[in-house]
Amino acid sequence: MEAITITLDGVAVSGYPGMTILELAQESGVEIPTLCHEPYLAPVGACRLCLVENEQSGALVVACATPIAPGMVIATHSPRVIERRRVIVQLLLASHPDSCLVCDKGNRCKLRQIAAELGVGLVELQRIPQAATIEEVNPFIERDLSKCILCAKCIRVDQELVVEGAIDYIGRGFASRPSTVNNTPLEQSECTFCGSCVAICPTGALMEKERAYGGTTSHSVDSVCPFCGCGCSISLEVKDNHLVRVIPGTASPVNRGTLCVRGSYGCDFVHSPERLTAPLVKVNGEFEPVSWEQALERVASEFNRIKEKHGADSLAVLGSSKCTNEENYLLQRLARAVIGTNNIDNGSRLYSSARRLGLERSAGIPATPNSIEDLEQAGVIMVIGADPTVSAPAVGYAIKRAVRYRGARLLLIDPRQTKLAQFANLWLRPRPGTDIALVNGLARVMIEEKLVDAKFSTGKTKGFTELVSSLKKYTPEYVAEVTGVPTQDVVLAARLFAGAESAAIVYGNGITQHVSGVDSILALTNIARLTGNISNGGGDIFALQRENNARGAGDMGSLPDFLPGYQGVDDAQARGKFEERWGVSPPDGSGLTALEMIEQADKGSLKAMLIVGENPTASFPDSALVKNALAALEFLVVADMFLTETARLAEVVLPAASFAEKEGTFTNFEGRVQKLNRAIEPIGDSRPDWAILLEMARYMGQPMPYSSLQEVRNEIDELVPKKTSVKPGLFIPVEYKPVSISGDGYPLTLLTGSVLPHFGSGTRSLRAWRLKKFSPAAWVEVSGGDAQRLGLADSDPVKVVSPVGEVTAAVRVTEALPQGMLFMPISFPESPVNDLWAAGVPDLKTCAVRLERMSADG
Amino acid sequence: MGEAKALTGPELEQIEKIIADYKGQQWALIPLLHEIQRVFGFIPPPAIGPIASAMGLFPSQVQGVITFYSQFYTEPRGKNIVRVCRGTACHVRGGKTILKLVKQQLGIDEGETTPDFEYSLETVACIGCCALAPNIVVNRDIYGHMNPKKVAAVFHRDGGQ
Ligand code: SF4
Ligand code: SF4
Ligand code: SF4
Ligand code: FES
Repeated sequence: MEAITITLDGVAVSGYPGMTILELAQESGVEIPTLCHEPYLAPVGACRLCLVENEQSGALVVACATPIAPGMVIATHSPRVIERRRVIVQLLLASHPDSCLVCDKGNRCKLRQIAAELGVGLVELQRIPQAATIEEVNPFIERDLSKCILCAKCIRVDQELVVEGAIDYIGRGFASRPSTVNNTPLEQSECTFCGSCVAICPTGALMEKERAYGGTTSHSVDSVCPFCGCGCSISLEVKDNHLVRVIPGTASPVNRGTLCVRGSYGCDFVHSPERLTAPLVKVNGEFEPVSWEQALERVASEFNRIKEKHGADSLAVLGSSKCTNEENYLLQRLARAVIGTNNIDNGSRLYSSARRLGLERSAGIPATPNSIEDLEQAGVIMVIGADPTVSAPAVGYAIKRAVRYRGARLLLIDPRQTKLAQFANLWLRPRPGTDIALVNGLARVMIEEKLVDAKFSTGKTKGFTELVSSLKKYTPEYVAEVTGVPTQDVVLAARLFAGAESAAIVYGNGITQHVSGVDSILALTNIARLTGNISNGGGDIFALQRENNARGAGDMGSLPDFLPGYQGVDDAQARGKFEERWGVSPPDGSGLTALEMIEQADKGSLKAMLIVGENPTASFPDSALVKNALAALEFLVVADMFLTETARLAEVVLPAASFAEKEGTFTNFEGRVQKLNRAIEPIGDSRPDWAILLEMARYMGQPMPYSSLQEVRNEIDELVPKKTSVKPGLFIPVEYKPVSISGDGYPLTLLTGSVLPHFGSGTRSLRAWRLKKFSPAAWVEVSGGDAQRLGLADSDPVKVVSPVGEVTAAVRVTEALPQGMLFMPISFPESPVNDLWAAGVPDLKTCAVRLERMSADG
Repeated sequence: MGEAKALTGPELEQIEKIIADYKGQQWALIPLLHEIQRVFGFIPPPAIGPIASAMGLFPSQVQGVITFYSQFYTEPRGKNIVRVCRGTACHVRGGKTILKLVKQQLGIDEGETTPDFEYSLETVACIGCCALAPNIVVNRDIYGHMNPKKVAAVFHRDGGQ
């Protein structure tokens, strides 16, 4: 590409072809005011404020939409330009209310900033009255369209980036304004309250409605969203040690100036009145606040005593996929070097280790190797066992963008009609638990019709012949019978996937939480490999992670069988490295997994546990059993922000600081390591987990020698290999094993999953008051057919009964479910769906149940 | 926009049939809207969803296009369309009063339709017959030199009471 040189305000500068004058000016440090331009949005040239003068032709052109051309001579601040800009601002102000002093946008209003810069004050033009505020009941967004300057940024971010299409212009001329269909309040539209339009609106037309804290921001701090595995960049706006608001970080290719409702409005939990502010110790069954010294002394002496008496393996550490990488590293070092046990695991065990093992065994890669940008380039995207629009919204946005604007074709495999269904070219609705049969069926069609990549099938990839023979029985007819997907759709899906230049597979908890999670991943890996879609740009396997640092917790060795960097606990070379550094040899032999810890605690062979940032009582199956097991421990220590159901069982509770109160890094699902910065001081006497762990080791008499977090980081950089090499691939045949989901007396299949305003077990999102206000309680979705048959209507209270437990919820009738299926959200401890599952092997996605009507009064 | 009244089965079928001819052709949105309006006299709001999904657009975008053009309607219109000229020439010769009178006669405001669906009332900027000002147009007929008597005569009704 040849560089293009132009003269900008008398200086020669060069850019690349296709660059706009505005982009080149920004790159060269020349400021041009803009109101409708935004880096991730296509230029529209609506506001005309970025006018510049082409000195050769005398023409005024819009800098944001005019590409540079060789030899151009541009003046960005000539008297003509300035005069024109002033007129434009005057015109805008003529139809703008004089409410600047009371407008909450305050100094963040771009119109006001630009007017001030151009010296435009009172406007003498005749005023044009504008539309008034729209009454909305949602707690997130307020619209005062009298302040709208018609820059269309909100519409563009809604359509081009988050791809909800909730709003567009309605009407024309002076009367036009951004509106929902039928001009309804936002809560009656497609709006998901992602808040992206509010963040991007240059004026006070779109604003946060109910704010946590008033006043003008004093500064802002870059951080990473503490919720899902997308790892969106956020900017925390701060005043008086309070988070005033959260806005999207703009520089990240992950979220590109967008967020979801959790990121935008969910961080209120940081200032929840329920935050723990002092260490608590249980005295006669009641918690009493104590000093850190007392608490840590108690922890250290108990841990040491139990270790002495019962051995190191009678202790266990449960870490968290919400803790930073550094904290997870320290946790596993505490477990291995200070306590001396491999009994260390993290809470994402239940839904993410299956996928890790699956990918590793077959592809030799620990997790998703590619970026969200690659995904957006794929020709075909297959989504299976995931509703990214809810569990990983930023990925959902990318998929919708790929379909709507890049011509990608979406192959959706989901029994539920999720938001992605309307974007799908082909939508298959297999019966729950039959994914492997379906995927094997696709593989068979691909081979049968010679749609497979020759390079992969001719001996280079081990196991091809075995694969072919293993697939014999998976004819489209057999697959149709098992899955309920029509034969022709099986064939079409195989052709669609195999016919693409690059085809991506996106999977999530729907796959990994099934009993056969690992096998499903192997089956998926087989079709990816067959079609040459491993490391083929967008053609690859993308494993979504539920928790924001699920990937990092694994990478850092919060696992019973791996040292940091997935180096086996029995790998002599790796052990040597850590021994040299720690001065203690890491224990050998795999430790207990999270579920085994609960089992052993129940049996009495595990005596003490340290749980950091996890709430297994709410998130593990069979909460009654978990509660009993934890209560049976001699000594339980919990570090958390809140007195969770788990913390209540502890002897000592240590108040932990939130993500906004500490530094560290999180690794998102792509493997991007991102830094969080401290925005506010820890609330009350709380401390960051990393500081708690260092102190704990010191009190136990074996200090971990770090004087700063940076030193921990350095040790990680030194001892943890960045990339595990990709082993040569291998086909691994897997068989579909029927699991009977429905049973006698339990005719319905319950699916569970996340829902948009909430997250995980709800510990944080239910303490974010706007999210809680918007979505306060659990519900159960019932298909229209079943509702009619059972005589149920919206909001009827029902009992959902499984062979092991029951929960209550209100009915929501939906057409999104096939008959015989129910759906319940997982995030409401008041309706603990996990009670419906038996303890043991986690298959936290499907369960056989029946519905029982409850009388209205109870 | 008016209340989105549900469509009857046959109406929905008819709309689906029209839409099918244009499916997937984003450029054809306007001809499609014209066709639906030709058949129904207006674009029933419940049709917006199906139109949007066939075109690969958002409903909000389709609504944006419909409301951008004054020639698209989302409510049933009267059998007769009355347009009162609000151009300059008519204005100086009392167009404003004529509009008031027509409103009184029909008992409706600008942009509305009489309950018996006989008349819909609109204004236009100029119809190019300034010599005859003030003017009104009923369907394709122009009535010039309007005065209160003539207004009453044109409508033979007195909806104002
Ligand atoms: S509401 Fe805000 S972002 Fe949307 S068009 Fe108006 S000023 Fe622009
Ligand atoms: S909040 Fe998000 S979904 Fe709602 S209108 Fe704004 S951009 Fe669209
Ligand atoms: S998509 Fe995930 S990371 Fe991004 S704002 Fe939402 S919850 Fe946070
Ligand atoms: S920023 Fe260029 S026209 Fe608005």
